[in-house]
Amino acid sequence: MNISINWIKDYVDLPEDISPRDLGVKFTLATCEVEGVETSGEHLKAVKVVQITRIEPHPDADKLNLVTFETGSGEKRVVCGAPNVAVGKKVPFACIGTTLPGGFTLTPKKIRGVESEGMLCAEDELGLSDDHEGLMILAEDAKIGASLADHLGAASDIIFEIDNKSITHRPDLWGHYGMAREFAAVFGNPLKNVFSEEWKAGLKALYTDEKPPVTIHVDKDSCCLGFKGISMDKVTVKPSPQWMQDRLNACGMRPINNIVDISNYVMLETGMPNHIYDRDTIKGGEIIVRRMGEEGVFVTLDEQERKMIASDTMVCDRERMSGIGGIMGGLDSSIKDSTCRIFLESANWKDAEIRRTSVRLGLRTDASQRYEKCLDTNLLEQTILRLMELIKESCPEAVVVGAMQEDAIKPTPELIIPCSAEKIARVLGTDVSEERIIVILEALDFVVEKKDGKLMVTVPSYRATKDIEFEDDIVEEIGRIIGYDNITPVSPVNLAETTRLSEAKQMQRKIQDFMVFNGRALEIMTYPMIGEKLLEQASWPVKNEKLTLANALSPELSRMRPSMVPTLLEKAAQNQKNYTSFRLFEMGRSYEELDGEAYSRDRYQLGVVFFDKKDSPYMDLLNVIRPLMSYLNLNAQFTPAQDKFPNPLMPSEWPGIHPQEYLDIKIMGKNSGVVNTVHPVLTRQFKIKGNVALAILDITDFMDLVIKDKTKYSALPKFPSSDFDCTVVADAHTPVGDILRAMGKLKMKEAESVKIVDVFRMSEDEKAVTIRTTFLDREKTLTPEFLREAEDKVVATLNKAGFPLKM
Amino acid sequence: MLQKLEELKKEFRASVKDLKDQNSLAEFKADYLGKKGKLNDILGGMREASGEVRKSVGARANEFKQEILDTLAAQLTKIETAEVNAKLKKSWQDITLTDDVMARGLQSAGFHPVTIIQREIEDIFISMGFDILDGPHIEDDFHNFEALNIPDTHPARDMQDTFWFADMAHLLRTHTSTIQIRGMEANDPPFKFVGPGKVFRCEATDASHEMAFHQLEGMMVGKDISVANLIYFMKTLLSEIFRQDMNVRLRPGFFPFVEPGFELDIECLICGGKGCKVCKGSGWVELLPCGMTHPNVLRAGGIDPNEWNGFAFGLGLDRLVMMRYHIDDIRHLHGGDLRFVEQFKAY
Repeated sequence: MNISINWIKDYVDLPEDISPRDLGVKFTLATCEVEGVETSGEHLKAVKVVQITRIEPHPDADKLNLVTFETGSGEKRVVCGAPNVAVGKKVPFACIGTTLPGGFTLTPKKIRGVESEGMLCAEDELGLSDDHEGLMILAEDAKIGASLADHLGAASDIIFEIDNKSITHRPDLWGHYGMAREFAAVFGNPLKNVFSEEWKAGLKALYTDEKPPVTIHVDKDSCCLGFKGISMDKVTVKPSPQWMQDRLNACGMRPINNIVDISNYVMLETGMPNHIYDRDTIKGGEIIVRRMGEEGVFVTLDEQERKMIASDTMVCDRERMSGIGGIMGGLDSSIKDSTCRIFLESANWKDAEIRRTSVRLGLRTDASQRYEKCLDTNLLEQTILRLMELIKESCPEAVVVGAMQEDAIKPTPELIIPCSAEKIARVLGTDVSEERIIVILEALDFVVEKKDGKLMVTVPSYRATKDIEFEDDIVEEIGRIIGYDNITPVSPVNLAETTRLSEAKQMQRKIQDFMVFNGRALEIMTYPMIGEKLLEQASWPVKNEKLTLANALSPELSRMRPSMVPTLLEKAAQNQKNYTSFRLFEMGRSYEELDGEAYSRDRYQLGVVFFDKKDSPYMDLLNVIRPLMSYLNLNAQFTPAQDKFPNPLMPSEWPGIHPQEYLDIKIMGKNSGVVNTVHPVLTRQFKIKGNVALAILDITDFMDLVIKDKTKYSALPKFPSSDFDCTVVADAHTPVGDILRAMGKLKMKEAESVKIVDVFRMSEDEKAVTIRTTFLDREKTLTPEFLREAEDKVVATLNKAGFPLKM
Repeated sequence: MLQKLEELKKEFRASVKDLKDQNSLAEFKADYLGKKGKLNDILGGMREASGEVRKSVGARANEFKQEILDTLAAQLTKIETAEVNAKLKKSWQDITLTDDVMARGLQSAGFHPVTIIQREIEDIFISMGFDILDGPHIEDDFHNFEALNIPDTHPARDMQDTFWFADMAHLLRTHTSTIQIRGMEANDPPFKFVGPGKVFRCEATDASHEMAFHQLEGMMVGKDISVANLIYFMKTLLSEIFRQDMNVRLRPGFFPFVEPGFELDIECLICGGKGCKVCKGSGWVELLPCGMTHPNVLRAGGIDPNEWNGFAFGLGLDRLVMMRYHIDDIRHLHGGDLRFVEQFKAY
């Protein structure tokens, strides 16, 4: 919204010694955000009145002329294409260097080879109107060489561009008078009371005893909070005076005719939207406000057909609809050049309903924008009286017919808030006296009464609709007017207390660290939503139908992902285009549907993909995930899939499960992870050309537990250990794990460890496995006799398990 | 005798350099210092010499003996090193053939830029005694709106701002302010905590708008917390984040869950407050919303507003990330493209 400072000065004096920019800063800090400060009309001072003396055709262009003119200080010549150039005419001239509205600065240039020393201007180029028919022709008595500003008597103005978002909670700031009240409070200057009781009485004297030509009926169930109106006759439709046009222009509104302009002017002044009807279009002498009741079409002022629904509140007459309540009038009832009988309306509407309808229609008007903020019904009368006053000023012959009509008026309830000066000072954290508080509140039109050591603060009705509710709102009024800048920062009292990262946060950080520094992987982030198509492409059996969004942005992101797997596959497919091998991970979430109240649970998960075009990266991945478990102090078992214990992270029916390269990770007795090579059948569905190893670790169930570090020191051995290597023969497809498990039957306390030294493929069917058993006795040195016996035992154990010594 | 000694010294110094292996070195040593060596040869005449002469020659001879020992030891080290080096030469490897020059896929590893910045800020808060909390992405109306004093009719509840689930009772959190409620439910005052995380808005994406982005919510509740305290905290925090003394200012701002509410501006880092393109000439840049916690919010969290009060603030993490790394398109953050994250690699 634009605010004209000239207009503000109608109601309050502003300090002279402050720059427009500083004025804007001060207002921003106290009231609302001034996004831009512009000084209008500056260019009119630079534009001069000149008289055309000679016109010659341009040597190289049919439609252009070379126009010479007298500037009062010598002749100049420009290239000009306007059709209405004529010798002797007085026109406005902008010389090189002038910046015109729209930010265009004239620079020296040649037009078709001829030097042009500036520009003769049309009205639109000067920002005076939309007229681009030809050059602006000035009065014959215009003084040559005078500035256009002097000639037009146009005053320069300062325009504040207010960020509308910063006044959404302040219905009183949507008009100049409300803004002026803020300036008055900020600078401690009095605000002129232009809507006094005397003023009202003076205008009410214009009412007559005649039967009102139009009466008002408001249906109780409509969204109307009050409707007032009055009829006037003998108005003449004509252009508004220049000062009014200037102000409307300054606020970004196009002047149309005196009646429409007055309607807009009063809205910009009081913040209250209103409507002026051509009364001849009101059929049956009655305005009826009611719900649509059924679906229908209505043509608004802007000639658009609008689809209305049953619950929309419409303004109608006895025969038809004439406007959408609080949003926009109809095409039929608008003011025409011939209009002479009018009806003035000022009404109030429920904020939420106006907003809902205007959003649905995609129709945000100056009116709806204001009604959304919750306006004050008590201001309706003042609005109509002001309309009447300005119409009388514009058309002195106009008369009021009958008295003010109204229906369904619901006055804004009185609001009194008990406050304490001590609390206000305490919450702000600065000294502020009771006297100062009272001065500030009174400047803002609050009424303050001292009672039992409390301040009883009566809130002005136009701020009591929603904005001000309780004591803390009053704290804000004081804080912003004394200026938050004037509050000295103070450290809160510091209590001796310790903090640390939560267990869950620590675990997440450790996982990320490990994946980066040990897993050599890059961390990514992905959308936690997923589409049906991707789920299908991944053949993922869980669909999360319940966790589907009602208003998804696209079908690709229509629901919360039941698993990170499909997303990870998509990312693998995406990145294989740029890399022959890569490792990526995400510390993210998937989402589980739950029955009943609980609805859903966010599952905190690590998802990892190792990709390689040539070789299977499964062992690389496994060799990262296994030590990760140990780093997290988790006692984890890696086991092949078991039908008895399905893994929720990878349903057994999922075709992506690899027949061999698959392990469940069991933590605290529950399947909480999986390491799998994605089956080629599935990578093919993603057009992935290479091997994808994928791991998921779900930490949701144990991340909040304090997991004890069970590491315990044991004394270093005082006696030497002894290694025994033996090589056995096994079937080529027997996992070494089986051999190590067989060695578990050795049951000797001196057998410190059993490791694989080497695996050698002997033939198609057989391999040789070299096993190293380390013996250690912490009490004494091992004797050769003992070792010989122990070695025999090792060989016997292996033999018994079907792994004979290699001969 | 002295003269002979000097001559022997010359001879030694001249010939020691030619020794190339350990054997000849041993022979050479015996030749000079052995029982029948050259030095003893000269010193054989000492018995006849006078006490005076014996004294001076003895000292010189000892000096010379030490020189021989030192020189030969040094020479031995040299010879041994040369021998080892000769062996090492055979096991030569190309030390310019590092992992990073090998064409074998992606070798880099590192954190996502949001993780980097988020951790940095979390650590600052930990150092100031704040706990770090978290909450679910899928929330209910109560935690996202009602408890935060956002009425039924508030525009934020509209379909064009909030992702709703089909039951129209659950939603994706639109702000981390939900963590305020979760934090109040889980803790007794006084407390202070922050809650970083992903939030969601139903809006079309472009280079500067995302439907999923990151915020960090902060809340402090205690006795007699004031606006002066809030300003102090914000100034301290921001000075630590930006690693320089920051000037901040508060101006009125409206958010339903605080009263009074503020927009906090920082003095423009580009121009230092003089006014430039970045700050649109104002010298200030809008950074974060904050305010004194609304009594209704405290009540919704089970806290008596007559006894306790506090402040809250929200910080946009993605904006800080984009500022730090000059990222021009926010959509990269959730894009999962390794060419993007690789740029922030740890190694």
